[in-house]
Amino acid sequence: MSRYVSRYLTITLLAVFLSVISQFQAKAQANGESIFKANCTSCHVVGENKVVGPGLKNVHQRRSEEWLLKWIKNSSALIKSGDADANKLFEENNKIAMPAFNLKEDEIKAVIAYIKTESEKAPAAAAPGAGASAGTTGEEDDNSPIVLLLVAGLLAALYFVLNRVKKGLEKVVRQREGLPEPIVYKGKAWAREHKKLLYVVLILGLVFGSVKGWYTLKEIGVSQGYQPDQPIKFSHALHAGTNKIDCRYCHSGAEKSKNASIPSPSLCMNCHKYVQQGPKYGTEEIAKIYKAVGWDKDKQQYTGKTEPIQWVRIHNLPDLAYFNHAQHVKVGQVSCQTCHGEVQTMEVMNQASPLTMGWCINCHRTTEVKMDGNGYYTELHEKLKKQYGPDAKLTVDKIGGIECARCHY
Amino acid sequence: MEKRYWKGVEELNNTPEFVRLRDNEFFEHLPVDEVLNRKAASDSSTTRRDFLKFLGFSVAAASLAACEAPIKKAIPYVVKPEEITLGIPNYYASTFYDGTDYCSVLVKTREGRPIKIEGNELSSITKGGTNARVQASVLSLYDSARLANPLAGKKKAEWTAIDAEIIKKLADASADGKKIAIVSSSIASPSAKKIVADFSAKYPTAKLVTYDAVSSYGIVKGNEISFGKAVVPSYRFDNAEVILSFGADFLSSWLSPIEFSRQYGVGRKLRDGKRSMSRHIQVESALSLAGSNADSRYKVKPSEQSASVAAVYNKIAALTGASQVSAGASPLNAVASKIADELWAAKGKSVVISGSNDPNEQVMVNAINNMLGNYGTTINLDLTSNLRSSNDAAVIELLGEMNAGQVGAVIFWNANPVYSMPDAKAFAAALSKVGCKISLSDREDETAQNCDYVCPDHHWLESWGDVEPYKGYYTLSQPTIRPLFNTRQGADSLMKWAGVAQADYYTYLRDFWQAAIYPMQTGLSSFDAFWTKSLQDGVFETAVTSTGAATFVGNVADAASKLMKPSVGTDVILYEKTGLGNGSQANNPWLQELPDPISKVCWDNYFAILPAYADKLKVTQGNVIEVKVGNVSIKGPVLLQPAMADNTIAVAVGYGRTNVGKAGNGVGFNAYPFASVSNGAFNYIAAGVTVSKTVDEDITLAATQTHHTMMGREIVKETTLSSWLRDAKAGNPEILIESPYGPKTPEKLDLWATPANPEHEKPNHSWGLGIDLNACIGCGACVVACNAENNVPVVGKDEIGRAREMHWIRIDRYYTSDTTKENAKEKGLGKLSMYGEMEKPAADNPEVFFQPVMCQHCNHAPCETVCPVAATTHSSEGLNMMAYNRCVGTRYCANNCPYKVRRFNWFKYSDNDQFPYNMQDQLGKMVLNPDVVVRSRGVMEKCSMCVQRIQYGKLEAKKAGRRPGDGEIKTACAQSCPTNAIVFGDYNDKSSEVNKLLADPRSYHLLAEINVQPSVFYQTKVRNKEEGHA
Repeated sequence: MSRYVSRYLTITLLAVFLSVISQFQAKAQANGESIFKANCTSCHVVGENKVVGPGLKNVHQRRSEEWLLKWIKNSSALIKSGDADANKLFEENNKIAMPAFNLKEDEIKAVIAYIKTESEKAPAAAAPGAGASAGTTGEEDDNSPIVLLLVAGLLAALYFVLNRVKKGLEKVVRQREGLPEPIVYKGKAWAREHKKLLYVVLILGLVFGSVKGWYTLKEIGVSQGYQPDQPIKFSHALHAGTNKIDCRYCHSGAEKSKNASIPSPSLCMNCHKYVQQGPKYGTEEIAKIYKAVGWDKDKQQYTGKTEPIQWVRIHNLPDLAYFNHAQHVKVGQVSCQTCHGEVQTMEVMNQASPLTMGWCINCHRTTEVKMDGNGYYTELHEKLKKQYGPDAKLTVDKIGGIECARCHY
Repeated sequence: MEKRYWKGVEELNNTPEFVRLRDNEFFEHLPVDEVLNRKAASDSSTTRRDFLKFLGFSVAAASLAACEAPIKKAIPYVVKPEEITLGIPNYYASTFYDGTDYCSVLVKTREGRPIKIEGNELSSITKGGTNARVQASVLSLYDSARLANPLAGKKKAEWTAIDAEIIKKLADASADGKKIAIVSSSIASPSAKKIVADFSAKYPTAKLVTYDAVSSYGIVKGNEISFGKAVVPSYRFDNAEVILSFGADFLSSWLSPIEFSRQYGVGRKLRDGKRSMSRHIQVESALSLAGSNADSRYKVKPSEQSASVAAVYNKIAALTGASQVSAGASPLNAVASKIADELWAAKGKSVVISGSNDPNEQVMVNAINNMLGNYGTTINLDLTSNLRSSNDAAVIELLGEMNAGQVGAVIFWNANPVYSMPDAKAFAAALSKVGCKISLSDREDETAQNCDYVCPDHHWLESWGDVEPYKGYYTLSQPTIRPLFNTRQGADSLMKWAGVAQADYYTYLRDFWQAAIYPMQTGLSSFDAFWTKSLQDGVFETAVTSTGAATFVGNVADAASKLMKPSVGTDVILYEKTGLGNGSQANNPWLQELPDPISKVCWDNYFAILPAYADKLKVTQGNVIEVKVGNVSIKGPVLLQPAMADNTIAVAVGYGRTNVGKAGNGVGFNAYPFASVSNGAFNYIAAGVTVSKTVDEDITLAATQTHHTMMGREIVKETTLSSWLRDAKAGNPEILIESPYGPKTPEKLDLWATPANPEHEKPNHSWGLGIDLNACIGCGACVVACNAENNVPVVGKDEIGRAREMHWIRIDRYYTSDTTKENAKEKGLGKLSMYGEMEKPAADNPEVFFQPVMCQHCNHAPCETVCPVAATTHSSEGLNMMAYNRCVGTRYCANNCPYKVRRFNWFKYSDNDQFPYNMQDQLGKMVLNPDVVVRSRGVMEKCSMCVQRIQYGKLEAKKAGRRPGDGEIKTACAQSCPTNAIVFGDYNDKSSEVNKLLADPRSYHLLAEINVQPSVFYQTKVRNKEEGHA
């Protein structure tokens, strides 16, 4: 037995060691990656294509690290200093200067290291479809339930084996000592002998079943976590997280209207006329925008042949409920994340909140109304202060925010 | 020892019976073998196992389908139009003009779909008013009966091919010297008139024949005779102190009803310190909308109307010293001098009108107005109207020319004579002799059926256009949606055929405005700026200074001699209903289901007769009678209509369409054949009628109100002007309720006393509606507006007959009764017979009251306390809320509602073949308001006080960081009202209009004594009449 145990231990330790090592490596790379994504992706890709600035694939081979450090820190200074390479690059790129970046030396080095690793695996990533699942951020999370299941399986197997061993040993002992065989109850007889146990189990089962049933029923129609595949692998993590594009740049209705509205592909073209390649899927997904909006990339002109993008709607309120974004975003100054979750980290968008009536009402019971500075509330605020006391929390429900006809009409 | 138990004594004794039964599993014989051996069973391919499989599958499928949410797509615009923000409505100024009604409007569009019509307050003519037909016209846009393609010989054709053929045929006709007629309803568009002129220039034999289904030629001709001006003048009912109308329903159909309703409302309202109101006298045979609003109403038979005009003429002539004319006998003779005195007292501030199409009667009316000095004050002959210009003489002439084979081509533009001509068969026969027949109708209507080419016109919401309703007043129409079908605007078609240089009508219109209208103004220095401003405002009005006084040159004696003579027997009079009008929108279910303001009948026309006359004929409501005039004989149901003249049958035109679409086909019967030609004009009165009852034939008429009187209760409070001037509370005494603290007004008694219970306070808003019964004319614009705003379903005739109409707002109509509780004793009536008598409207000439009733939003709502699931509750803003998805349909609330305003969804009215109206197909559903949920079967619904509009208005204010202004938020009913009778506002806003009105002594709550404390209040109706006098 000890032989088995030591073998298991060795394997486990090895696995843990390996994963720790790989995580360290990933961390160093991730640092460079996050700096790159935060600062560079709006103009560069690690590839051969030019976006605004040139493609950075193998740039560590083309330029010396020293030159790169100077260039990234302050490209204009380098150009002014008369550096031939710098001036040539400036001319080649229509005299669009790269802005200076206030980065530490080791941060720039991390970026260069990231470019280096990316350049090496770039061919695989560029192949259509390949590496689509090789997301660096979601991997650990994706694996955790499988790991847990594996561990549970192992434990169950261990229990089974040990139990068999124990029974075998007992049998051996009984035979050696000449003890009688234990009584084995079967079926009804067993039940008659263990009435109390049976009742306890039944009652527990009933209680458990009811509670479970209740919660299952409550889940019907609730699609929290709904994460359908979308026709374009659009990443909020990249756009809202890494590139820090304000939500309302694309969802411009949120402050004006009941609909936050999904942007039309023509809006995508404001950036993607220039950003022709993404960090993860290359040109493949951006090409879908071009197809939708009818943009001929080669001729740099619109063809007039358009094809609307059929997104899968994630947040589906039933028709009987009226929801207005402007009321919450503009008047209530609620951040988008309050209801939609940490969208800036979502590689694939999902429904973060249950969108049930109870969820709405709970929030209305705890959220204070933003009355200050809004002329609509001035008079009401004074009245309510008199009614509830000057320091009372004036939550939404106190001004009728949980009345039926606020949302149902 | 083994214990044994017996099931019974039989087992203990082991009887043979027991043994037999014990060996059988089933106590009784089961016919298993018989069933399984039957041939049918063995032939059946469904085995038990299969059955179980199916059962299991369907159960699983059903539960899966219930759990799995369908995948919904969200498809954004590829290129979002700049002006559209999803979820925010856009409003476009436009103009409704269909040859009868004129209205300057704002079109509310959502995501590019027009969904609601609202009045345009910038127009000085309609000032934000609308009527039912204008409100309903948005639904006609989404009518699936519209043609999707042009037709050539009843087959789908291409525009280019059809154009080439038509141009060739027109050119041939013109070359042959044959006439080309453009038969059109009144054209009020200056640019369209120019196109017609261009067309005539290309084809010299072309002429315009203006044909309105219900003609106003008599007025044009009458003015030509009287003043040498063949025009329709403008009227100012708001300036008139005395209005005398001879059968003209100027609030519903006569000339320009929306405009006149607005003016009339101004004269009737006692608001803002105004202590006088107009006096309205109506002389008529059928009970019209105008007549039901009159202060004094006199009944004459249709054929006696002309004589009545003459009678009044003679009395006024006596006052001026002019010569008398010979006049036939009229019941009005008795009161004519009284009327004449009243008119004479209001000299220069009165107006006399007549609904007759007889030029001679119009001459008499003109002569009266002339003697009273009304030209230049209430009637303006220089500010001429372009809204009605039909030319009966030209139509009659065309008929002759067609029969003579002189006509090479006819183009029908917004005209359907094969349906609406008095002798449609003769017209159709004449039409068949024309070489090339073209219809521009939007559907294959009765006339288009007889045409070679149908070139479908756009709906007005898809069209460009301009209207000059009165000289110097211009309005523009603009498209608010891309054409739904392969149609082309009528003006565009004519342009194409006339070979006009401009590529399309829009360019033509712009060029026309640049050349003809832009120079009229000086404010804006570029045409583009002017065009943009005019489009945005919808109106461009130039100052008209002329008062329109004129010299009367007519020959009164000659006209009087040609007047219609009173008949001996029964007369028939044709009229237009407030809903359906002349029948051009007959396929509009909203209009079909709009209850007639007077009879409250939907989905039918009928022969309206006085109950006493019905007794003479031995018929009752619903009996089918046959009415014969000359060789025209029409069958139809009887409606008992109080306040009709005796020996008179009134019947509405616009029904009995055969080719209008599934909602309108076969509804009612066509009454146009009763019309005739006399004195060179169409005559809508027929004398010498024979009536016979058909045997055992009945048609059930579906009415939304079947009780007729107030049964002695003060539902509509009324008083007279003189009483009101003496005592502002006249007719509206304070109601006191007995209480432990002595008699108190209902407001003082509150179970939920506010200081102790602050939750029942309304700190923010307190919404309410005020309804001035003096201004409400009962026209029903609010009903249709509410339908459009709140997705109210159409239920059809059968359901209306079961009192299951869904309208959130109804207009109750009451008649006065001869019997009151006070006079019952004098009449010697017992209790029971007293109530029986009180139910009957006055036999002779009852007064009529209108009262719009919607949910009163009671602050002590009886409905709320009886709902077992709290589906209806009260808001902190005074609204009685209804959560449909909480409702389980017990209908307790409806039973407990004292106002009977709750409506129950007996069926699912959307996507249900049983209700083939607008909520069945994708096209019809485009009219739905996306902010209001479509209710399903089994739930209660009612007026929400347009909570979606309130919420929208509040949000707009919050976004801007201010309070909503008074009048900024309006319910659909208040917005649509042509007389501004309905006012919506916030009681918490001390300066609001609704607060001011509430403080008025005329204000009262409906059934205040039951102390439900409604948020809606009414204002006493004041009639300008002598007390105790009709």
